[in-house]
Amino acid sequence: MGGVPTRSIVRTGLLGGVGAIYVALVGLYTKFADLELVGQQITLGRVLIVAPAFVAAFAVTRPRVVAGERQTVELRGGLGVGALSGLVGAGVFAAALWFADWFGVDRIREVFVAITEPLVDFLTFDKGVPAGLPILIALCVVGGVVGGFVRTAPVEIRRPASAGVLAVILFGLLQRIIPIVFVQLGFEADWLYDRGAGLTWFGALIVFAVAAAANSLWNRDGGRTRERVRRNVGQAPAAKVGLFVAILAIMTILPLLLGTAISEVLGSVMIYVLLGLGLNIVVGYAGLLDLGYVAFFAFGAYTTGLLTGAFLNTTTGAATPALSADLNFYVAVWIVALLAAGVGLLIGAPVLRLRGDYLAIVTLGLGEIVSVITASKWAQPLIGGPQGMRGVTKAEVFGLNFQDNPQHFYYLALAFVLLAAFVSWRLSTSRIGRAWNAMREDEQVADAMGISTTKFKLLAFALGGAIGSLGGALFAVSIGSLTPASFEITVSITALAVVILGGLGSIPGVLVGALVLIGLPGLLREFEEYRALIYGGALVAIMILRPQGLIPNVRRSRELEDEEVSQDAWAAKAAAESEAVAAVLPGGGLGVEREDLE
Amino acid sequence: MATATDEQVRGAELGLLERLPWRRIILVVLSIAILSVVAIGAFKTLTLPADERYSTTTWKDFIVLGLAQGAIIALIALGYTLVYGILRMINFAHGEVFMFGAFGAFFFSDAWEQSGFLNSNPILSMALLLVIAMLVSMGVAILLERIAYRPLRNAPRLVPLITAIGASLFLQNTARGFFGAQSRGFGVPEVLDGTWTILGVEVDRIQVVVLVTVIVAVTALSLFVSKTTTGKSMRAVAADSEIASLMGIRVDRVIVTTFAIGGLLAGIAAVLFSITFESVSFTMGFRPGIAAFTAAVLGGIGSISGAALGGVLLGLLQSVGPALILTGYGIPSSFQLKDAFTFLVLVLVLIFRPGGLLGSSEAEKV
Amino acid sequence: MSAPEHLLELTNVAKHFGGLYALSGLTFHVDPGEIVSVIGPNGAGKSTMFNVVTGLYGPDDGGIRFRGANIVGLAPNQVTKLGIARTFQTVHLFPNMTILENAMVGQHCRTRSGVFGSVFRLPGTRREEQRIRERARESLGFFGSRLAGYREEQPASALSYANRRRLEMARALATDPALVMLDEPTAGMNPRETLELRDHIVRMRDELGLTVLVIEHDMRVVKGVSDRVVALDYGRKIAEGSYDEVANDPQVIEAYLGTKAVG
Repeated sequence: MGGVPTRSIVRTGLLGGVGAIYVALVGLYTKFADLELVGQQITLGRVLIVAPAFVAAFAVTRPRVVAGERQTVELRGGLGVGALSGLVGAGVFAAALWFADWFGVDRIREVFVAITEPLVDFLTFDKGVPAGLPILIALCVVGGVVGGFVRTAPVEIRRPASAGVLAVILFGLLQRIIPIVFVQLGFEADWLYDRGAGLTWFGALIVFAVAAAANSLWNRDGGRTRERVRRNVGQAPAAKVGLFVAILAIMTILPLLLGTAISEVLGSVMIYVLLGLGLNIVVGYAGLLDLGYVAFFAFGAYTTGLLTGAFLNTTTGAATPALSADLNFYVAVWIVALLAAGVGLLIGAPVLRLRGDYLAIVTLGLGEIVSVITASKWAQPLIGGPQGMRGVTKAEVFGLNFQDNPQHFYYLALAFVLLAAFVSWRLSTSRIGRAWNAMREDEQVADAMGISTTKFKLLAFALGGAIGSLGGALFAVSIGSLTPASFEITVSITALAVVILGGLGSIPGVLVGALVLIGLPGLLREFEEYRALIYGGALVAIMILRPQGLIPNVRRSRELEDEEVSQDAWAAKAAAESEAVAAVLPGGGLGVEREDLE
Repeated sequence: MATATDEQVRGAELGLLERLPWRRIILVVLSIAILSVVAIGAFKTLTLPADERYSTTTWKDFIVLGLAQGAIIALIALGYTLVYGILRMINFAHGEVFMFGAFGAFFFSDAWEQSGFLNSNPILSMALLLVIAMLVSMGVAILLERIAYRPLRNAPRLVPLITAIGASLFLQNTARGFFGAQSRGFGVPEVLDGTWTILGVEVDRIQVVVLVTVIVAVTALSLFVSKTTTGKSMRAVAADSEIASLMGIRVDRVIVTTFAIGGLLAGIAAVLFSITFESVSFTMGFRPGIAAFTAAVLGGIGSISGAALGGVLLGLLQSVGPALILTGYGIPSSFQLKDAFTFLVLVLVLIFRPGGLLGSSEAEKV
Repeated sequence: MSAPEHLLELTNVAKHFGGLYALSGLTFHVDPGEIVSVIGPNGAGKSTMFNVVTGLYGPDDGGIRFRGANIVGLAPNQVTKLGIARTFQTVHLFPNMTILENAMVGQHCRTRSGVFGSVFRLPGTRREEQRIRERARESLGFFGSRLAGYREEQPASALSYANRRRLEMARALATDPALVMLDEPTAGMNPRETLELRDHIVRMRDELGLTVLVIEHDMRVVKGVSDRVVALDYGRKIAEGSYDEVANDPQVIEAYLGTKAVG
């Protein structure tokens, strides 16, 4: 049907159905059933009902290569295919639901804890099993149709439509911060958002229209505007600087706009941006997979505590640690960074010559050792064991209190982030960055070309460690007391996910990654429980679909793409250029030597 | 254009600092430090005054415990080593394969415990539990290969590794979503409570079961790999997958089989682990997973006998090590430090002898 | 006795992999300003000899001296820093770096800017970067306009095969070596490109003052460039001398299994 083999349609549809069942089993429906996105009818839970059908239809209507030719699916066929795959998936889903009802929800709940009566009610729109199923099926079919539509509709329609929908969903998810921004700026937000809930229908319509129109304009004339702007921005340093200043300005104003509670979240985001920047040097620039970054984080936090006169928590009160000093934070923090760099060198020396996977495991082990030590009784006299430490300095300066005031803390963190970003950026475009690139592309050859790979690996590791320790220092200041629970492998993996999602080797990518992975769950408490699940799924999805991340570093994109793709791209560009040349030179470009065309 | 009369020096002298073999110096210093710590600690432990010292029975207990746990680790380690031999990648999510097998067995074990079947037919129910766990683990392993690893066969090194980490996280939290965050108690047939006396040594019955099962499983695996066609195909693909496919071996199928076998073994380990520790939880795969990987590397990754040897050795190190070395220093060898010990072993093996005991002393470079 | 005038000297070098002796009892030398060709059938140990000299792995026996100093046990980057540059049998460029960047990597071992200079763009660092760029362009320019001009910013992976080989050589030249070791530089080139490369090799000696050690199969090139020829077979030296001497050596002819020496 529509050029797509029926077997494919059925199989993908089935997968969609299984996907929906998975979402139910893992508890996402139950969790998000009440998160309103638009009005009272469109909740995140309901979006998740149609999502598998949508994705399945989107996947099955993709262009295929048949007998050497690329065939796209026509719109009419696409709708039909989407409907069919949606139907199949819905059938499976409905059957499972019916089975659950027949078998007894309570009995299933003994194994799968998320299958509850409220879940069944939710999935049948409060109509119970046989009656609600047709609605469910119909909804999934619609989801499939929409999926097919998004894939097969003509470009002028589908791009703006997708942009519009994405914008609505994004605004819906950000329901806790956008209204606040409006209020702070002195505008009313009631037309846009229901109080304490999602978008109003009217608001959703506006958002959709604006996003779609913007997308339409941006892609006008088959993308010419977009290309032109990109090229101008790419070539004019002034434009780049302007962009940077604009983003910086927004980042500076944000906490004032969003209020204290959200500034706390932003503070966490900034800490992870800092961690991400450090890890970006190790993984992104030097290509060393470090799974134990929490070690530097913990080192920074605890050493800051020790150097600024924090106390050990004991059952009897407070105690002085075995080693202690009472320095000003702004003096101590550089000592911490230096020490961390030294530790990085010590650890790195025996370890960095190992191959990729082995290095990952070793660093994982080292991170775990540090985690265990922070909680152990053995290290208690120094860092407090399971009870930890308290009384870390507030790092007060000019009357700004960074521990009690989240907004002030954000600015402190921002300052460190800018410093780290500056250092990263300068290094990446220098001789050192060149050495890292060469090492990453072919270590043995880089060595043969005179680059001491050991030295540069150590440099990356030590630098990354220093920045990680700064993150730890900031963390210590922000919460004032340290417990081992904050220093587990989760930190390492989250930092890694931030870097990867944003794009290996990309500094703006780290910011985006942190906003998405720390900011969103921070703003939407419902996501908290599923944070790790989403991280894991995101890592897998990104590696399979888009390994260069959201904001790719151009060079890394090339590395991660197939060579043919980049060659083709370049060849197309060269062909266009030589055509342009030929068009300009009289006699059709005979001034170009044959050899030069190799 | 630069010529021989150019000011720039052609080549340069290397300073003394650069000529020193720094790596070797650091490694030597490190090994001396570690050996001294170990030797002194052991000495002090063994020469403690009689009332503080461990008795012979206690040492025997440590050793048997180490063997039993090491056996379980060996089974899981085999999964790592088999996959590494074929794909040259570390299947980070193997611990979760193990965990799902345990949960699969758990639900049946729980039901049978309540109905009494577990105690009335212990042998049959244990056998069934093993089969169930094997099937579940196998299924998860095959799904993992198909969804997360197969699309990335030709990707640069970092990519499948990161995917594996993501898969591990994903599977762990899927189990959390499915089954809840609480750890659940795993029922053991009454007949396995208590001890048997074998060759004059008193050992826990469960430990005997564990050891016997593992020995049978490893033997079966060795026979399979050396005698059957599939086993030979596996060895061929591990040696050179391109040539193997030119010889007519269906590499994809072999890879799936390898994952399946690894899963199978993990399922067995899951049941054994669950009856030893009498509980299951969604995080139960992480530490054993790392321990098993350590064991595989310790023995020489890619080698089956290496995984077995490494497993047993690591088990012994885990149970005897902290007691032997740390007690002398007056450090209470808590459960957590045992884990730190494992990681330390891992780190040290990778630093000093990445090829493992049965491998070469040079890790493959790049 | 190692005479100080030998630029590179191998004495009794042996290397085995397991039971296979890739090199045994290999003794020869290269003097400054010479072009020496190394010939021999496949598997004779020629590339292995290159790898041992440049430090990819160490010899199991024997000595290697460069400018009179022992270089056994040095890491490859240290050997390069001392003044030996090499190319590889299969081209090993940095595919996603631009052509200019590939050449600039060569200058790495001749420059010193550290973290501090790079971060703050100190004047010394900027001057050094400028110089690196110029040197890289010079090296690229050695091969004419092919690797120059607008080409500089293109990724190395976009080059044709012959140009990739040239880029690899340019990169080696950019390390300001005293000795250049070329491993089958004309492999895969068509006759016109081959002859052109032959001239380039001579120019390396005449214009740049380099000493060249080249592994070659194409006897037209060997005849055209060599001051001396060393023939290897099964890891041993079987002949040494001028081209005519070696080409007519019965052992050499036999080693090539009846392949008549061209020329």
